[in-house]
Amino acid sequence: MGVAELSYRDAVIRGIAQEMDRDNRVVFLGEDIGKAGGVFKSTVGLYEKFGPLRVRDTPISEQAILGAAMGAAMTGLRPIAEIMFSDFLAVCFDYVANEMSKLHYMTNGQLSCPVVIRTGNGGGARFGAQHSQSVENWTMMIPGVKVVAPSSPVDVIGLMAAAVRDPDPVVFHEHKSLYATKGEVPDGVIVDTLGTAKILRAGGDCTIVALALMVPRALEAAATLASEHGIDAEVIDVRSLVPLDTQTILGSVSKTGRLFTVEENPRLCGWGAEIASIVADEIFWDLDGPIVRITTPHIPLPAADHLEDLALPSAARIVDKVRRVLKA
Amino acid sequence: MASGSNPAVQSAPLSNDDIGLERRLELFRLQVEIRDCEKRAHDLFFQNLIKGTSHLSIGQEAIAAGFGVAMQKGDKSFCTYRGHAHTLARGASMEGLLGELMLRDVGLMRGKGGSMHLTSVEHDVYGSYAIIGAHLPIACGSAWRAQYLGEKDVSVVFFGDGTTNIGAFHEALNFAAVWKLPVIFVCENNLYMEYTPIGDVTAVKHPAADRAASYGLERILVDGNDADVVYRTAQAAIEKARRGEGPSLIECLTYRHSGHSRADPGKYRPPGELEEWLKRDPVIIYRQRLKDFGVTDDTITGIETESKRKVDAATATAKASPPAPVEILTTDVYADGGWAWRN
Amino acid sequence: MSDTVLMPQLGETVAEGKILAWFKSVGDEIKEGDNLFEVETDKVTIEIQAVVSGRLNEIRVSAGDVAKVGAIVAVIGGESPAKAAPQPEAEQAAAPKAAPWRNPFEEVSTPKERYGPAKGPGDIRITPLARRLIAQNNVDILRLAAEVKQRGGSRVDERVVRSAMATSPPTSAHAPAPDAPRYASPPAPLSGQTITLNAVRLKTADRLAENWRTIPHVFQAIEVDFTAIDRVRRKCKRAFQEAHGFSLTYLPFIARATCLAIQAFPQVNARFDGKSLSLSPTVNLGVAVDLSHNGLVVPVVRSAEDLTVAGLAKAMRRLIDKARTGKLGPDDLSGGTYSISNNGAFGTTFTAPIINAPQVAILSTDAIQLKPAVVSTPEGAFVAPRMMGMLGQSFDHRAFDGAYSAAFLSGLKQLLEARNWEDEFAGNP
Repeated sequence: MGVAELSYRDAVIRGIAQEMDRDNRVVFLGEDIGKAGGVFKSTVGLYEKFGPLRVRDTPISEQAILGAAMGAAMTGLRPIAEIMFSDFLAVCFDYVANEMSKLHYMTNGQLSCPVVIRTGNGGGARFGAQHSQSVENWTMMIPGVKVVAPSSPVDVIGLMAAAVRDPDPVVFHEHKSLYATKGEVPDGVIVDTLGTAKILRAGGDCTIVALALMVPRALEAAATLASEHGIDAEVIDVRSLVPLDTQTILGSVSKTGRLFTVEENPRLCGWGAEIASIVADEIFWDLDGPIVRITTPHIPLPAADHLEDLALPSAARIVDKVRRVLKA
Repeated sequence: MASGSNPAVQSAPLSNDDIGLERRLELFRLQVEIRDCEKRAHDLFFQNLIKGTSHLSIGQEAIAAGFGVAMQKGDKSFCTYRGHAHTLARGASMEGLLGELMLRDVGLMRGKGGSMHLTSVEHDVYGSYAIIGAHLPIACGSAWRAQYLGEKDVSVVFFGDGTTNIGAFHEALNFAAVWKLPVIFVCENNLYMEYTPIGDVTAVKHPAADRAASYGLERILVDGNDADVVYRTAQAAIEKARRGEGPSLIECLTYRHSGHSRADPGKYRPPGELEEWLKRDPVIIYRQRLKDFGVTDDTITGIETESKRKVDAATATAKASPPAPVEILTTDVYADGGWAWRN
Repeated sequence: MSDTVLMPQLGETVAEGKILAWFKSVGDEIKEGDNLFEVETDKVTIEIQAVVSGRLNEIRVSAGDVAKVGAIVAVIGGESPAKAAPQPEAEQAAAPKAAPWRNPFEEVSTPKERYGPAKGPGDIRITPLARRLIAQNNVDILRLAAEVKQRGGSRVDERVVRSAMATSPPTSAHAPAPDAPRYASPPAPLSGQTITLNAVRLKTADRLAENWRTIPHVFQAIEVDFTAIDRVRRKCKRAFQEAHGFSLTYLPFIARATCLAIQAFPQVNARFDGKSLSLSPTVNLGVAVDLSHNGLVVPVVRSAEDLTVAGLAKAMRRLIDKARTGKLGPDDLSGGTYSISNNGAFGTTFTAPIINAPQVAILSTDAIQLKPAVVSTPEGAFVAPRMMGMLGQSFDHRAFDGAYSAAFLSGLKQLLEARNWEDEFAGNP
């Protein structure tokens, strides 16, 4: 069984292609995704491979993109819709918050919406406040949708496949600053499971849960914590916010007694707040100290590179916080 | 179809009738049943048996009936929260409809959706939508699916004059025109956007028809209270879409006899306006139409009596139905029937 | 009009039941009163009858499945609710329907245990994990707090507790509770027979552990001379057996004396909620019944103070029979205010039983047998063989103190030894 090194963006292409190969009902629409191969070059080659009927460029019409994806899904297709920057979800949020998420419930199960909304999420690319936000938490809050945010190329493919095959609407947050990163990907068809977290580094002194871009930073921090401070951290890539793999997280924290979250979203109502709340409730008696969230401060993001880098949690900031809290 | 040689139904045979007796009787029956059922909904609301809100279509029956008869099985309709008429016009049962309005277990969605979200996939009613304009792009998606799979059904989306000013309207029309989708956009211009005259908030006089050109579409403005006119217009647009020639935007002029919703007595209308429009009542128009085509009084009365009987029976069934069991509170959040967000 | 069949409420603290078997199938005509299904809870197994007649249209919870109290388990009569139209999509490999998941108002499971306080002596703060370890291992918090303060610290955490546990033995005779993490993988099984606990035993186990952990038990025993009662017992034995079909034991005498003693010491017959003691006006006497080593239930004799010895004997007999044949109803298990654990059959000397929260005390009776005892007579003190037995009481030391409990036991002894028990049977067995 062969293994290759693949970039995160090439993994996006491979994941979409894998599913479009498998099922003729999988179609793909979005702005500049076809002939141009996507503004992040994350869909290069799909138009050539699958043709203009299956890979369709749209006008700049986010509401029409999601609305059409929903209508097509309700009546028999399995569309993938791109919303170029996750910030733009705010433009078409009616479809996430009010339409797709509530359809199956309000119609008493008569209609479903098997749509994948893939979107370029997160900061670090100096795009400024309206093109850099980390908004997984916006979508986590709505009952009826599912939310994933892969951190590695192999997870991109596996979770894309799982999302396309899932009969519910799934928001697939790709991270813009991860597109260039590389990782090992085995050959063949890869299908993962929504609602599963991964323990990427086993450890006994504390549990660090992270998502997307924060995952490699948490791993880097864990290595430093071990080599320089004698702290053995367990690092969990949450991967899926809804459904949430609470069992893996609870199992880890009941073992280590300490929890830290590393979240790129601004502080208030970030995804880690919900996890902190569940842990503080269900395994209160396994906690040996306060749960600490390491987040971007509650501010819009600046464009200037040194300021943006300061705002997002860095490996150094993670090391510093964990060390100070554990040694206190 | 027979061209009317049954003396019990018609007093003289017809010629040159493109619509035909069968369809005419159907057009009349639908309008009468919609009228009677909506009036019953009005009464049930004031008896506090229908709760929440309810948006009635009294006075706008011809549009639902005209399109209902023109659409075939498989053609998919999408309407707004003012969707009772459209749901009945596709053949959904009155007890399912009244039951849903009364939030009972016999309702089309067992009370989970309510008046504003009537859905019956069995009758090709693909949802009623409460967020203004949201369903226009959704109808485009359904049409895209048909186009992609080579299926021959068309998607018809109904909305009000107020919708023409929201962003999703413009996105959907452009989208449908550019992709040449088999979707029909039907604007029921009843002259009022909720409580405001549409002219006060729209840059053009005819909110849909005057905008068609912006999307490269033909200007279609019709009398929405004449079911024959609506039927013919619908037929033409549907056939055009089925031939692959793209979308249509149709503005039907009409008037609603009651307020915006059940709680609104409609006092913002100028004096005399309602009376003028009541003379153009679509049911009165069509009753006369049938007579003009030689349909006997007995046949007409028969339809009207049967309609009242059906409404009474449906009311009794809906009233006798219990509320849905509480366990469905958490069912069908997800397609697997459950609601589990964690393990 | 259809009728829904609900999982019934089967006892105060019962939250769910497991349907063991359905006696009817979908399509059967049901008459009111027919047995519909058998349900097992943590306390009882019971048959549920139909309360309406009609056709059994739907079974929603199958045999072997668990449903919450109040959930719909079946539908009788009327039309089945309208089925939703089938999905129009080509993909018919629809996802399997999800099983009923959590209670909608308990998406997150708050732990039921409570351990020691978060603040210790000298305003020391104690982490939740440390509090649990301290309680489970009976670590001396005073000592810990002193040690931490001495080092200039202000917090007791896991490390502090574990090092204290490693360097000193537990402070009481009770064995420390095992500290197994809840989510860790289970220990490797031993290579011998595995005995899996059934539902009743599992729930009993949880309750016992909870009661043991949260109530400070103190045990006192007193030796009682049952010779006088034995005399009466033997005198009435045959008539009683003929009249009632079962044998008259010591237990109903002890129960009667307990009810009488409670009149003078009402605090042992009370409920404690952490802040106050609510005295009960009646004695609802719980009698612990061992289900052939397969679990323990404590059915209740209501208003036991109104019953004679014979009445108590009959009531307890009835309950024991029901318990052993799995026919206890929800009323039989709720409302207890004082309990008796009768271990005499096994020949033990004394037993320190576990209190049934929210009660505050429990009496144990053990073997009553001939033993040498000192008897005082006007002629002097002599050693004589007497029927002797130990009565023990475990009590909640928060509710009252040792002197009160001892006085109660003393009063009980006095009643058992000196009361005219023959009068109880005067006229009738």
